[in-house]
Parts: sequence; structure tokens; C-alpha cells
Amino acid sequence: MRKLPLSLTINGETHELLAEPHHPLLEVLRTQLGLIGTKENCLEGECGVCTVLLDGMAVNSCLLLAAQCQGRRIVTIEGLGGPETLHPLQETFVEHGAVQCGYCIPGMILAAKAYLDQNPEPTEGEIREALSGNLCRCTGYQKILDAVLAAAGVLAPMR
Amino acid sequence: MAPELRVVGKPLPRVDAYGKVTGKTVYAADFTLPGMLFGKVLRGTEPHARIVRIDARRALTLPGVRAVISAADVADVRYGGALKDETVFAREKVRYVGQPVAAVAAATSEAAEAALAAIDVVYDPLPAVFDVEGALAPGAPLVHEAWETYSAIPILYREGNICNRARILAGDVERGLAEADRVFEHRFTTRMVHQGYTEPRAAVAAWDSAGQVTVWSNTQLPFEVQNTLAEILQLPPSRIRILVPGIGGGFGGKLRVGVEHFAALLARKTGRPVRVITTSEEELTAAYPRQGTIVELKTGVTRDGRLTGKQGRIFFDTGAFAGSGPGVASVATLILAGPYCIPNLHLEGYAVYTNKTNCGSFRAPSGPQANFAVESQMDIIADALGMDPLDLRLRNIVREGDEGPTGQLLTGVGLEECLRRAADAIGWNDRRPGPSRGKGIACGWWTTTGGSSGVYVKINPDGTVALNTGAAEIGTGALTGAAQVLAEQLSVELSDINLVSADTYSTPFDFGAQGSRTAFSVGNACRAAAADLRRQLFALASRQLGVEPDALELRERHVVAGGKRVSLADLSRLSQQSGGGLIAHGTFIAPPTPYDTKRVEAHVYPAFHSPSFHAHAVDLAVDPETGEVTLHRYVVAQDVGFALNPTYVEGQIEGGVAQGVGQALSEEIVYENGRVVNPNLTDYKMPTTLDLPRIESILVQHPSAVGPYGAKGVGEPPNIEPPAAVANAVAAAIGVRITSLPITAEKIVMALRKETP
Repeated sequence: MRKLPLSLTINGETHELLAEPHHPLLEVLRTQLGLIGTKENCLEGECGVCTVLLDGMAVNSCLLLAAQCQGRRIVTIEGLGGPETLHPLQETFVEHGAVQCGYCIPGMILAAKAYLDQNPEPTEGEIREALSGNLCRCTGYQKILDAVLAAAGVLAPMR
Repeated sequence: MAPELRVVGKPLPRVDAYGKVTGKTVYAADFTLPGMLFGKVLRGTEPHARIVRIDARRALTLPGVRAVISAADVADVRYGGALKDETVFAREKVRYVGQPVAAVAAATSEAAEAALAAIDVVYDPLPAVFDVEGALAPGAPLVHEAWETYSAIPILYREGNICNRARILAGDVERGLAEADRVFEHRFTTRMVHQGYTEPRAAVAAWDSAGQVTVWSNTQLPFEVQNTLAEILQLPPSRIRILVPGIGGGFGGKLRVGVEHFAALLARKTGRPVRVITTSEEELTAAYPRQGTIVELKTGVTRDGRLTGKQGRIFFDTGAFAGSGPGVASVATLILAGPYCIPNLHLEGYAVYTNKTNCGSFRAPSGPQANFAVESQMDIIADALGMDPLDLRLRNIVREGDEGPTGQLLTGVGLEECLRRAADAIGWNDRRPGPSRGKGIACGWWTTTGGSSGVYVKINPDGTVALNTGAAEIGTGALTGAAQVLAEQLSVELSDINLVSADTYSTPFDFGAQGSRTAFSVGNACRAAAADLRRQLFALASRQLGVEPDALELRERHVVAGGKRVSLADLSRLSQQSGGGLIAHGTFIAPPTPYDTKRVEAHVYPAFHSPSFHAHAVDLAVDPETGEVTLHRYVVAQDVGFALNPTYVEGQIEGGVAQGVGQALSEEIVYENGRVVNPNLTDYKMPTTLDLPRIESILVQHPSAVGPYGAKGVGEPPNIEPPAAVANAVAAAIGVRITSLPITAEKIVMALRKETP
């Protein structure tokens, strides 16, 4: 199969690359660009560990073709913050003990960000709805919910 | 007066949190090497069949395909735990749908997939056994005709499709049942469930020119995988190096060799690094899930609610290979006894071969299945006697100084407090607060598994501390807990500890992340290392400060004596100039727990070390039209001994309950005629954010005499009681008792309509 030349904007940086037309964004992020913060598991849109932001919306990168992402803004966990400049969600996830094995956490944080960006003052029930596509097997979700509620409190006055 | 604690017991953030929230932590599934090939496994498609032919010629001609291997390419060895019955690839016949038959390595994952599809395997089907009853029926086909030739630890009792029968025999059960006013007989069933870790099992293997292989794996037990690979590859263990990067959850599913052997064999064949990672379908058809069970209980009780005797049998459907079955069947008998004083016991645990996937260990192996039966029956008995279920339990539970079922002396027993506090918190005086609404309670006990731990602890010239351990951090925060112990003991902060973990070449031995033991055992090894370092530090400081060593103490990163002080950093530099640096080797092995050897037969795990005790209470509603269960509140009171880090102890409880609620209400690997019909995460239903209430944790602290600061094992217990607590609450809500897991909406509606499935 002929590879497609693609121009992808990821974390504010433009990448020119060749990708198989049928390759999902997840494959390109992890294999071609080394952005391994986006995780791989079920590959059929059930678990949410591969969640990234596409024009600000949380999407499963395992189901999205890389070719569909041209001209759109992609944000991965690597684009959210680093050790020096943590996003408030990253801070509250640490503070509230929301992280155990951590494998679901990049997707969880990005799903939470997408939701808080649209709904800055959510109820716990709304956060539960927003994160219901992201499986976590370690935490029972409770401290994740605490962290997202706390981040909403931090973020709201900044808007 | 004991000095005030600065680090242990505090809700500090875990040491690996920042790497995980920024996506920087490298997990085994993320690990790659230059030139790496992609390995995939061809899995059998028949539950039981003779392999007539494997033809890989066409696959080998496909673009990008570098190797195809099958049984003919590997040494003819059987490996396993208590019983060595497993092979890398099916040899002569397949015994379950999903058994590895061949493996390929190719330049891309897609090329490897294409190669699998191009391998022709011809099977000649054989009669199969799909459940315990079938496997134990007279004249049933044997899953392993040559079972007698397999090597096993000598104590196992084996016969045909039974790969162990463990027993506890105490008192005289006939007499105990004869003394009873009422005898209750019930049968319960549970289904196969998966650990559900979000990171698939993954391994990358590479051989060097000296004939040594390095494997990056997400195993919970690097030293066991090293030994198993040594058997499979026919090499001394020292030529096999296992490194554990980040692990995306394990829950017992990543204990045994999973894909490491395929990666190592394919890498040896191709001369290139090879990575193997499982798919969700492989996870749900060919991993190491929790065994389905049948439990039969016959329990005698006096009119006033005293348990006089119990006869019980639990049958584990362990699948086509023993896996953890022989041990799990043993542990189960201690759970069948319950945390109760019963003078007369005849309890049996059977591990039974069937033509299904090889079952393994899942958080508190045997706990949820056996506890579901025991604690459901306690409620049935209470109802029949007209007693409050809480009162019936309080009348029979073990208390300080009582004897366990095999005669062990029980100490640090916080069970009564757990039961009373859980009941109070849930509002037990109002058990049926509304129509179709009810509350349930269940209690239990569990072990803190032994096994040894070693650590090296080094004090760096900047005063920070390196903790080098062979234990793996699977997400529980156990190594943060151990690091807190070390920081406390050395008068440093948690942020001063640098963790190096799980490299079989260089880290000291550890029995591994299993059995709720890591914080307990590694924490104690840290205490031992810190004691050694104190001696070294005080010897150096004594000369520096001109003070006798016994006048010295550690405080705020310094050795101090009155107004004199010298920093750990200075002492480390001094040692580097004069004595090779400050380092200590700390070790720990839990002391044996004495028990009455005459009470057990073929028993792999006869006593619970530093046992923990717990009670769960739930308040739920059932929709009588749809059968749907909504959990309103969930309370856990767990005797944790001492909470080394309350945040992550709560995290263990919350996560354990979530998994347990999954097993209680929705999770099941569904087999039909030996084939899994729901091998995907759409149809294998794990709880989401919408399926769980807030879980209220009450940390009860009756210290263990052995654990660091009195801590007991924490990780597994919260997974034990949810099925029983939920079943009891459902019964309270609708007056109908469901005796099989999962308690699906369908079962509830059918029970309400008095229909049978």
C-alpha cells in the first residue's frame, strides 16, 4: 500500500511524515513519533487509555485514522505539562492519590480536561458521565473524581 | 515515649506519581529497541484435539516474516508452580481454545498477523470436558492422560482430572453436625473472571553475543519468571536478565510467565530483539483468570446461633493446566472456615482440570468465591433462626487469642471492631429502608503472604538515599510505603529516597508483588538495612564528633549528640574517602506461623501469616422491573494493622471493592462448549465511573506483631467480601437469594418471577 504524506499538528508542533492510510493516530503517535504517553490496550475504543484531544475534544486515538487528523490540533499528555509546569489536573491527580498503576491516567486526565474546558463548574455526576469511557481497574475512580473536582475548583477562578 | 512519626502514617504523594501524570513513565508495553521485530502467537481453535499437522511453509514466504516456531523448536520441558504440567506450545494435542500452537516474528505487527493466518493446522477433535461436573464424572476424558508422570511437589493429592485436593480436618464433623439443632446445606457457584489490568501483558527480549538474554517484562514476579525461563530455555538463571519497567496493573494476572518465553524464543531464532504484547481477545481467552467454582456447604448451628460444625467442599475449574490451582484450592479451605470459631471442620478444596484456559491467581485467590458462599449462608442461617445477621456473626467470630481453623494462634484480631463500625456506618438498625432497598454485610479474613525480601540501601554523598529492591511496583503504592519506612528510620524525607527496582542482575531477591506482602516485607527489609546503616553512621560520627556511639541519634538528616551534629551527606563523603561508601543489605523473612500439622492434608498454605480482618456493608436498591442493582453506599472497615500511607491504603480498598463489585454484578468470561463468547471489553463488563458509589473506608488498626509499625497486608482483602455483601443486600432488598455469580439483572428478574434459566 502507498504511504500517505501527512502533516500533523501535535502539541503545537507540526510533523511531516508518511503513514499507512489505514493506520490509526495511536500507531503514528507511539511508533513513529515516540509519544508513548498515549497508551495502548484494547484497540477498539472500549477502554479509553489512548484518549487524546482533537480540536479540544477527547477522542480514542485507536479508532481515529491518522489521515483524518490533518489540519486539526492534536494534544497528547506530553503537550499538557512537564515536571516544571504541571497542569492543575496533573497536580490534583498527584495530591489526591488518584494515580495507582497510572496506565489509564494520561487518557483520564485528557478526558477530564476536555470536559472541564467545556463545563468549568461540573457536579460529581457530570464528571462521572464525562469519564465513563475511561476504564480504571486500580482506583475505583473515587480519588480520580476528587482530583477532577479539585482541579475544577482551581481552574474556575482562572477563566 | 515513642518518638512522633514524621513520614510513615502520613498521606504523602507516591514516589512515582509525577512520571505517571506526565506520561513519562515507560511501561513494558511502551518499551522498544532498535531493529525490533513483532511477535504474535497462533492459538489453538479446538478445546481438545490431536494436532495432525502444522504447516508453516506458506507463512514463511510472506513479506517481512522472519521466523515461525512451534513445539518442535523448543526443548521438551514441562514447567509450572506446584505442578509442572505446562508447555510453551501444544505438543501432540491442544487442551483448550487459545492454547499456543506456534509463534511468528515479523517486521511489523501486521505482517505477523498475516503470517498467523497463513499457518495451516489440522486438528482431530477429541472428547472434551467443559466443567467440573463433567471432569469428575465416571469415565470422563482425561485432560492429561499422563498426569502421573508429571513432577509436582510431593504433598499434592492428585487423581485423574483432580490436580490437588487439600483438606482441613478438625474435631469430629459428624459429631458437630449431630450436636446442631439445625443443619443447613447449600450450593453456590461462581464464574471465571479476569483481572482486567489496563496494560496488556508485554515483553521485549534481546540476546547478546555472549548468549545471555535480557527481557523487559511487566511481570509481578521477575525472579520467578527468570527461573521459569531458565527451565524453558535450558540455561542457568544467571544468563537470563529480567527487568521490570512500569507495570500497568497486575492483580495476580502477571505473576507467571506470560509472553516472555515467546519473545525470548523468537529473539533467539531471529537474532533480533522481539516484542510480544497480548490483545484483549488473548487476555480474555488465554490468560490466567480467576477460577469459576462450585461450593457445597453443610453447616450445623444451635438454636441460639452457635456454629457447631461445618462440612464444605469447593471445586475450582482450573482449566487445562494446574496454574495456581493446587495452592488456591488449599487457601480456599481457610476461607471456607470463615473468620469463625467452629470446633468441628471437614473442608476440602479441589483443583480440577477442564478443557478451558489455564486459571491463575487473581487478587485474594479463592477469597471472593469461598467467602461468597460462606457469608451468603450465614445470612440464610440468620434468617432461618430469626436472628440479626450481624448478631449471628458476632456470636461466632474469632477474637484475640482464639484458634484459627488449623490451630494457629490469632493475635491482633480487629474483626469485632470492623463489624461493629461497618454496621454503624451503614445504619444497620434500618436494614430495609424502603421498597426494594436493602443492606447487606459480610466479613472475612486474609493472609499477609510470607516469602523473603532483600534490599540494598545506599546513602549518597548529597545525603539522599538509594533504595534498591527486587520487588516490582504494580501500582499499589507498596514501594512508596516501604520507602516511607526507610525515610522514617533514617530521619530523611520521602523525597530523599530514590527507588531502583526489579532487575534480576543487580537488585537483591524479592519474592515478588503477590499476596499483599510488598510493603510489609520490603518495609521490614528496609528497617533491617536502616539499623545496619545507623551502626555504620554512628561509628563514623562517633569519631567525627568525639562522642560515644550510644549517645548518638538520627534527626533531620543528621547524626546528633547534644549540640553536636554531622550531616548524613558529610558522613557519606567521609565513608567514600575512607571506607567504600555507606551501604547496607537488609533482609526479611516472615517468621513461620505455627499450626497443627495433623489438621491438614495436601495443603500448600496451612496458616495465615499476620492475618487481616475486614467487614463490608452495602446499601443498594433493586429495580423490580428490570432487575438492575444500584449501589447507594458502600462501607469497608478493614483492620490494616497500621496504615503506612492512608491515601494509598484507601486507594487499595476503593479499587478492591470496585473489582469485587464487578465480580458480584457483571463480570463473567462466558464459555459455551469450550469457547469464550465474550472476548472483548464491550461484552466483558467491568465497572465504569457510572457503576460505583463512593466507597467509605474505615481504617481499623490492631497492629501486627511482625509488620513494619504494625502494618498488615492490605491489597488483596478488599476484593474478598463484595460479592457476599452485595448478595446479602440484594436478598434483604427483594427477599430473593441469588446463589450464583454474577448477580445479573436477568437472574434477579427471573428469580422474582420464579423462573429458572
